[in-house]
Amino acid sequence: MVALERRLQLAGKLLIAGLLVEAICLLWSRPFAFILLVGLGGFLCAAGIAVYLYSLVSARDLNPKPMQ
Amino acid sequence: MHFPTILLIALIILTALLIAVFIARPAMTATRAGKILEFVALFLLPLLCMAMGFTSELERSKTTSFCLSCHIMESHGRSLYVDEPGFLAAAHFQNHRVPADEACYTCHTNYAMFGGFRAKMHGLKHVYVQYLGKPPAPEAIKLYDSYNNRECLHCHEARSFEEGAVHTADPGLLAAVKANKMSCLSSGCHQVVHNVGELGKAKFWKGAQ
Repeated sequence: MVALERRLQLAGKLLIAGLLVEAICLLWSRPFAFILLVGLGGFLCAAGIAVYLYSLVSARDLNPKPMQ
Repeated sequence: MHFPTILLIALIILTALLIAVFIARPAMTATRAGKILEFVALFLLPLLCMAMGFTSELERSKTTSFCLSCHIMESHGRSLYVDEPGFLAAAHFQNHRVPADEACYTCHTNYAMFGGFRAKMHGLKHVYVQYLGKPPAPEAIKLYDSYNNRECLHCHEARSFEEGAVHTADPGLLAAVKANKMSCLSSGCHQVVHNVGELGKAKFWKGAQ
C-alpha cells in the first residue's frame, strides 16, 4: 500500500471519529456535549481534513514521475 | 428530537459510511471520478456536517431547557414559576415578555457588539466552574459583571417606559437609568429577580406542573 493511501485512510479514520463524536453530542442535549462537540469533535474533524489536504499536496512527492 | 437534528444525524451517518468505503478500498481514488468523490467525502461533507452541527448546538445552547439541564440551575428554573408578580424573572417568563423557550438567554445575553459571543464565553466559564472549579450554592450564584440597564432597555425603551408615571416623577431618573448610572435592579425598584433563597416560602404558578 502506498503512503498516499495510508494517509487517506488515517484522514478517514479521524473524520469518522470526529463525526461520531458530533452525532453523539447532537443526541445528548447537555452543556458538556457542546464542549465535546466543539473541542473533541471539531479537533478530530479538523485534523482529518488537514491530513487529507496534506496527503493531496504531498502526493507528487510520494509518487514521483519517472524520468523521461 | 427535532426534525433538522434527525436530518443532520442522517447526513453524518451517510458521510461516515462514504468515508468508510474509501478506508476499505483506497484504490478507488485512482480514477478521476474516485478522486472527485473522495474530495466530497473527505472534505466537503465533513465541513458541511461540522458547520451544521456547530450551528445546531449553538442554537440549542440558547434554550431554557439547555440552561436548566445543569443541576445547579434547578432553583433558578423554579424561580420562573413563582406565583408573585414582584419576582421579575417569573413575571417576564410567565407573561411571555421574553420567549419562554429562550428565557435565560434573552435576559442574560449582552445587547452590544459581540454580545452573543460574550454570552457563550460566560457559558464556557460556567462549565469550567462546574467541572473544574468550586460551584457555589444556587443562592450564592452571582453574575460575572453587574447587570447593565442596556439589557432591560433593549425591550423596555419604549413610549410606555418613557412616559410611565414612576419613571418621569424624578426628572433626572430617566437620564440616569439610560446612562446606566442608576441600576434598574439594584437601586431598590426592581430588586426581586430570581431570589432563589426565598423559594422555600413562595407559592408556585400551576403552569409549573
